[in-house]
Amino acid sequence: MRTRQVVAALGAGLVVMMSAAVPVRAHHAFSAEFDVKQPITLKGTLVRWDMINPHSWFHIEVKSPTGEVVEWMVEGGSPNSLIRVGVTKYTLEIGMELTIEGYRAKDASNTAVGRNFTLPSGKRLFVGSAGGPDSPPPAPAEPAK
Amino acid sequence: MRTGFRLLTLLAAGALAVASSVLLVAQAPAPAYRAPRAADGKANLNGIWQALNEAEWDIEGHSAAPGRVQALGAEDAVVPGLGIVEGGPLPYLPAAAAKKKANFDKRLASDPVVKCYLPGVPRAMYLPQPFQIIQSQKHIMMAFQYAGAVRTIYMADQTPAPADSWMGWSNGKWEGDTLVVDSTGFNDLSWFDRAGNFHSDALHVVERITPVSADLLNYEATIDDKKVFSRPWKMSMPIYRRKDKGARLLEFRCVEFVEDLIYGALRKQGR
Amino acid sequence: MRHRALASFGVMVFGIGVVALAGQAPKKWTAPRTPDGQPDLQGYWTNSTYVPLERPDKVTKAFYTEPEFAAVIKDAALREAEQTEPGTIADVHYDFTQFGLDRSQSAFVKNDLRTSMIVDPPSGKMPPLTDEGKKRAADRAAERRRAGATTDAVQNMPIGTRCMIMAGSGPPMMNAGYNSNYQIVQGAGYVMILVEMIHDARIIPIDNRQAGLPEGMRQWMGDSRGHWEGDTLVIETSNLNGKNPFRGSSERMKVTERIARVDANTLSYKFTIDDPATWTQPWTADAPMTKSVGPIFEHACHEGNYGVRNTLAGARLEDRKAAEAAAKKTSN
Repeated sequence: MRTRQVVAALGAGLVVMMSAAVPVRAHHAFSAEFDVKQPITLKGTLVRWDMINPHSWFHIEVKSPTGEVVEWMVEGGSPNSLIRVGVTKYTLEIGMELTIEGYRAKDASNTAVGRNFTLPSGKRLFVGSAGGPDSPPPAPAEPAK
Repeated sequence: MRTGFRLLTLLAAGALAVASSVLLVAQAPAPAYRAPRAADGKANLNGIWQALNEAEWDIEGHSAAPGRVQALGAEDAVVPGLGIVEGGPLPYLPAAAAKKKANFDKRLASDPVVKCYLPGVPRAMYLPQPFQIIQSQKHIMMAFQYAGAVRTIYMADQTPAPADSWMGWSNGKWEGDTLVVDSTGFNDLSWFDRAGNFHSDALHVVERITPVSADLLNYEATIDDKKVFSRPWKMSMPIYRRKDKGARLLEFRCVEFVEDLIYGALRKQGR
Repeated sequence: MRHRALASFGVMVFGIGVVALAGQAPKKWTAPRTPDGQPDLQGYWTNSTYVPLERPDKVTKAFYTEPEFAAVIKDAALREAEQTEPGTIADVHYDFTQFGLDRSQSAFVKNDLRTSMIVDPPSGKMPPLTDEGKKRAADRAAERRRAGATTDAVQNMPIGTRCMIMAGSGPPMMNAGYNSNYQIVQGAGYVMILVEMIHDARIIPIDNRQAGLPEGMRQWMGDSRGHWEGDTLVIETSNLNGKNPFRGSSERMKVTERIARVDANTLSYKFTIDDPATWTQPWTADAPMTKSVGPIFEHACHEGNYGVRNTLAGARLEDRKAAEAAAKKTSN
């Protein structure tokens, strides 16, 4: 997952941004919001997946070593593409176990960005999408001419 | 001469019969208005529309009252209205009634429209800004001037709401010339008005929109929300066609108007 | 981390679709009509593409060969999908492929294997800037420096980050990187183009049926008017407010867009930029759209904008820590 700010919208080989106001990408500088020096791995149960924009949020309950339960919110991607292949608010079950690798927010809250979301089986979340996390997705519309 | 007299009587009787039948016809209800057709034969709802009432301040009947911001004086004062809710006070469940009061008490801080958030349904329909209906067979779009809000009404290929949203998920059908819109999939973040009337994510709205004359729609909405109200309730209001020459939507992109309101406290000192 | 997301998501889209070969007479295709007789542009469309706006410096021709183009896409797709190195700035992000947001995971346009969207000038690059255009760019850069760090205030952040408008709206409508989808609905003398991000409904009135804006009224997406030239929708836009410059444009930019249904799966989309305050000549790009799938789910960006708040809060915390550390130093 590379930084896409420039590459995706401007295409291969072009990196010039004419002004800061060019809305090249949806993304804010994630590295300003989350701390590259605070990687984190969270294991917890899903309380809620807010399928919102511009980025979705996974709310998970994590048991600390002392046994107390702490709720974290972890940033994921826009749900719009998943919705197009059939993912809905019922796809992820409340209480499902998730392991999330990511980076902690700089504001010292229980907030993180998830670079990788995996199931207990080790499979990546939404590597399946429609019909459940582990099943293959229907193919999107064929790219045309 | 007798024939002539008989003829005269007959004519008189005939005239009387005609007159009384005309009288009967005049007493029968006038035929219902039939709106012009869209190209596909359905009632044509295309156009620029706007409600003209005080529901935005408070959907229930309410008197004039002080506004939220003293410095705005009479310009922020609450404009009185008879309300658009039918049949008595809103049937809040007890806990919800308390929440409504709490919403009202902190409405300046909590009203989502103050922060330029999407208005939800049905509030979008009676905001004091116009909206435009663009009608095709498979989709009827409602584009709102306020915050560029959009409602997509699926007339075909209908599915349940995939996820919750501010403007909900709307499936529509025609009953004669009435557009019936069934909406679910609302989040619990929008309000019905500035007075703090609210709903949960269980909100279910059924709207009936009927053209009743060339420039007038009749709008009814049944609100059902089992987490907030003890029973469904109904609102109704006319919606008027904007007749201004060249009427159109303009941009009301309000995010830039509210950034300091929302983020001002997080600004670096001295910036 | 290994490259596994791409294979797992199960979609690879290289080399599919048939490009019309030169010399073959195209089959006569009749564009469908809406019930009121207008050319039917309706449906879900995407302008997602790997074709850049400007021709890359090292490329001198206007069209790639099939194998060259496939290689360009393959390189880009692999690069974008590859896992980043943990502990690097680039790694501080969710994985696009995990959410189906990578370009390679949805339909995209091959655009006849063009090496650039720009077709005029023939160089495939934007024309030179005028002196005024250069000065404006310099002034904007200076203003950004004066304003301070992007984390000092929300107004210092890019307008897309602030959820004000994104590349897909324009005009001209450019590919947004992901969610680059449009829904076109036509009714009674209007064409509505719904841009997925940020739920912008461009409402194009046909044949001057609504008032045009006076000179002094400016808007983010300007003022658009449409008319049909045969089966092509021509949209002319002026009255931009200049707050969303396109590659350095001024508020005096005029955009002319031409949209036509080429076949069941393709919309041709061409735009001409005319901004003598910025460029020495008008320039034109060809950026077709291909059929996409719905639905377009509500992109309520401002409402869900935790990013701005979290970023500012984090920066203020760092300011406080730095101030405390400085205070400690002086008191020692």
